[in-house]
This record gives sequence, C-alpha cells and structure tokens, in this order.
Amino acid sequence: MWNMLMSFFGSIRWQDIIDILLNSYILFRLYVLFRETYVFRVLTGLALLWIFQRIAVFLGLILTSWVLQGITAVAALIIIIVFRNEIRSVLQAKNLKAILWGFPQKSVPTTIQIIVDSVNALSRRHIGALIVLPAKEDLKDMVHSGIPLRGLVSKEMITSIFWGDNPVHDGAAIIEGDRIAEVGVILPLSHRSDLPSQYGTRHRAALGLAETTDALIVVVSEETGKVLVAKDSNIEEIHGNTAFIKILQEHMGVYEEENGYQQKEKLKISIAAIVSVFFITGMWFSFSKGLDTLITLEIPAEYTKRDPRFEIVDASVHTVRIDLAGSGALIKSVQPEQVQVKLDLGNAVIGQNIFSITQENITLPPGIFLRKVVPSVIEVTLDETIKKEIPVQIDWVGELPKGLILSEVFFDPEKIEVIGGKRILENLSTIYTEKVHLESMKTSGTMFANLALTPAALKIAPGSKDKIRIAYVIKPGIE
Amino acid sequence: MVRRHRFYLFLFVLLCADLFFVHRTFPQTHQISVADTVQNKLTLDHAAMCEDVKDNIPINQAVVFSIKIGKVSCFSMFDPVPEKTFIYHKWFHKDTPSTNRRLTLQPPRWATYSSIQLRETDKGPWRVEISDRHGNLLYILRFSITD
Repeated sequence: MWNMLMSFFGSIRWQDIIDILLNSYILFRLYVLFRETYVFRVLTGLALLWIFQRIAVFLGLILTSWVLQGITAVAALIIIIVFRNEIRSVLQAKNLKAILWGFPQKSVPTTIQIIVDSVNALSRRHIGALIVLPAKEDLKDMVHSGIPLRGLVSKEMITSIFWGDNPVHDGAAIIEGDRIAEVGVILPLSHRSDLPSQYGTRHRAALGLAETTDALIVVVSEETGKVLVAKDSNIEEIHGNTAFIKILQEHMGVYEEENGYQQKEKLKISIAAIVSVFFITGMWFSFSKGLDTLITLEIPAEYTKRDPRFEIVDASVHTVRIDLAGSGALIKSVQPEQVQVKLDLGNAVIGQNIFSITQENITLPPGIFLRKVVPSVIEVTLDETIKKEIPVQIDWVGELPKGLILSEVFFDPEKIEVIGGKRILENLSTIYTEKVHLESMKTSGTMFANLALTPAALKIAPGSKDKIRIAYVIKPGIE
Repeated sequence: MVRRHRFYLFLFVLLCADLFFVHRTFPQTHQISVADTVQNKLTLDHAAMCEDVKDNIPINQAVVFSIKIGKVSCFSMFDPVPEKTFIYHKWFHKDTPSTNRRLTLQPPRWATYSSIQLRETDKGPWRVEISDRHGNLLYILRFSITD
C-alpha cells in the first residue's frame, strides 16, 4: 500500500501540479467574479453535465456520453452568446488586477447603518422620532397601542413613519432585528424632575422606557434636531455617526454579527477554493490518470497520397505500437480495424523521408484516448519506379529419387520484366521461382512454377508471364 | 681517303636500309598478331556443373545436387586458348558472393574447374559466373543445392 502510494506520488510531475493549481485558480476566479450571477448558476449546471458525461464514459454508455458531450460543447457556446452582456459587465467593470486577484466586497447596508442614516435624515429636517431597540427583556408589558408592521427596515420606511402627516408619527417605532415590529407605540413617561427644561414628552418617554427595561431608545428632537440616546437611566446627546454606530453596535451585539458575516464570507471563499482544487484535480485524474484501463495494439502504417511514379522501397517500421486508454468497457470493445495510422506522402520526395506520428495521424474510436506511440517517428524511403529485365532461376527443394539426377532444365521465359524501385532493381540480379519440389520427379517432363517476387513491392510488368514453364530431363546418375 | 669515304657511305647506306626495314616490319608483325587474336579468341567451349571431374571429364552434369555428395564442381572447357591467361569462377549463393576462384588457362585448349565443399547452410539456389581476366562475363551456370 505504502509502495503504491509512493509510486503514485512519484509519477506526478511538477508540471502536473502547476497544471492543477493554475486551472484551480482560474476556476476559483470564475467563482469569485461570477458568483450570485446567472452565469455562475449556468456554469455550475455545465460542470454537472460534464461530471455526468464522465460517469457515462466510465460506465461505457457510448450514446449518453456522446449526447452529453455534445450538449456540454453547445452549452458553453450558448453561455457566451446569451450572457455576453453580463460577462462583459463583470469584466469591463473591473481592472486586470481585480479580475486576477481582487475580491469584490459586497456593499449590503446593515440595519444599524440604515438606522443611523434615517436618524440623520430626520435630524436634518427637524422631524421628531422615537426608535426603540429592545434588548433581551420583553417590552409587551411596558408599552401599548402599538400597530404591528413587520416591515423590513429601510431609510424610506423610517422616514415616512415619523413624517408629520403620518397618524403614527407621534408614537415610537420598535425595531427588532432587521424589521420594524410596531409603530405608533406609546411609551411610559419618566417622572424624573432633574431633566433639562428643553426635554419634551418624547425625551421623557424615551427615558421612561429606558429606566424600566434594558432597551435602547433613540430620540430625534423636533425642536433642535438633536439626536439623543436613552439607555438605563441615562439620556445623552450623540455627536457624530461614529459614536452613534458604536452605541448601537454595543447594544445590538452587532460586533459579533459583523465578524460572523466576514467569517461566513471567508468560509465561503475558502470552501470555493478547496472545491476548485478538488474539482480540477478530479478533472485532471479523469483525463490523465483516471483512464487506468490500457490496451496496446500493433497497427500497420498506411500511406496516402503517394505519387504514382514513386515506390516505397523501405520503411523503418511497418507497424506502430499504440497504447490506448479509456474506460474498461470501451477498451474491451476496440477492434484493431477501428484504429488507423495514416501518413500523408503528398509532400514526400525520392530518398529518405522522416514522418512524426502525432494524434492527427491516428484515427481512434470515440471515448478512446492515445497515451503513447512507439516509434514516434517513421523513416520512409521512396524510389523512382523503373522496369528491368531480370533472369529467372528455379528454386529447387527436396530430394530426387535415389540414383537419378536432374541433368538439364529448360524454362520459358528465361527472363521477365519487373517493375519496382530503381535502387532495388539495380541490385537485383535474379528472380527466383517459388520452391519446386523434387520428390515426385522420377521421369523427364514439364511443369509450371510461380515467381516469388522479393521484396513484395516488386511487380511483374504488364505483358510479362507470371508463370514459368519448366521442361526438365531426369536420367540415372553415374555411381 | 676515298676508301674511307666509301666505307662511311657503305655504313650510311646500311644504316638507312636497316632503319627502313625495321619500320616496315613492325606494323606487319602487329597486324598479324591482331589477326591471330581475332581468329584465336579465347572461347568457352563447354561449361557445366557436375559432381566431380575425372580425367578432365565432368561426372554427373546436373542442375540440382544433393548436399549429401559433399562437393560440387564447376567445369569449364576453353578452345581455343590463344595465350596463357586466366579466368574467374565467381560463386554466388542466393545472390550473395560466396567465393571467387582464379584459374589459369594454357594454350592451345584447356579444361579447368573449381569446387566448393558443401555444408548444411549451403542449401538453396546458386550461380557461378565465368568471366575472363578483364571481368567480361562469359557464361552463367545456375544450379541448386538441395536435401
């Protein structure tokens, strides 16, 4: 097991690691740039399609894998066409650094920010307001006459609640979480006598609730536009947004919420990064290492577009060894006839020609992948085709019956015209017949023999006989 | 003095005569020699493959020889042989040169032969090319060594 793991990790090259990391980062960046857009959802669907296609290939479902492959290919094109505006807006809105490296920050206004903005707006217009932010204690027993609203907090909503013509503008609004729970709420008044004279009913109501509960009450003075916050037995004026936000955050415990949001975002990004690495690693294995089933075939090299004036007189190899990979079911169904190695001799010249065997030269059935070709280069020697008249010789084999000798032989034709490569024919001095057996030759007679043309590239010229008529004389030998 | 002049004149005449006759006789001799060569050109009278040669006679001339006989010979008979010369017997096994024998011929006619010892690997088609001293091919004998 340990050895297997070691050999597995040993087989991974540094290029493979770069390959995986680079593509993982590209996928991760696509997530970062396109998340929460329709493009991302469609891309997710596309990835699922691809996974199904790989499963179909693994299970040997040829048609399904073909259909899914086709859909995936077409879908990729459709995405670019249909979502071109969205893609363009994402890419145009960001500079190169943002595309390659940056993380777009989501600008979602928080409840606190909305409250602060609303209060500032009310303060500027001198619109009196009373906003209650409950803590842990229940306020039901302390307040009354409230009208349930249950609306999401927004600046417009808060402003309109305290607008002068609104029937509920004199009451308080209770905000629970991100919703305005009730409006027009009547709060208990404080009976303290040490309050400044400029404090009106709104201030007393705020302080009254603050004294009896743990709620925080925000008051906007109609007369002065000042903003005050009542908490416990205190009521104090707020100067600046920072202090106001800090008070609200402390009260609502939003520090944790903000951190939680950021942590959630970081977690999302981290998960996306991990998923990207796993997904790309899976893809990489699927393409390179996942195809564990291998087959080796010896395929004869075929030559196409040969000039008819030329003859192939020599080739460094006649067959090519091809290592193929694919799912077990597909590999088992591969027939040698389905695999072809074709070399184009269209640009070949007389003499030695060197051809590299690449993927383009090899025809494979669908779902089968090329892993290795041996040799990767073939040397082919071409020669000019010529005619030559060459003497014929009978290739006798076997043994004559005892005491007899084959004293004379006459054959027709004695020479034949052969077509072949110039280099071969220049060095060829004899054409032999196929083997002629002697065992049955007891008396003189005639017979016919075929020619054995070696090498096979040679051909008998039109008009020349391809059979040799042999007349032979048998007689007793002298002991 | 006159005697001495006569003597020198006689020597001069002798010298001229000698030079004249010498230059006249050399071309004649060459012409005869060329004529003789044309008429008496080295000619292969008979050639054959045989099992053996005894008393200048080839024994069991054939085109197929069993390897069991252990030896095969190439017999060649030349008539005429104008002058002492030599010929070649070049042996080929399946178009591959096996041996090349130089054989001397003596005028006026001469029979000669070359032989090879047979081994198991010698089975197959053979040929012997008989050529003159200049390498001109005179004849090809084809035969086979079989079981």
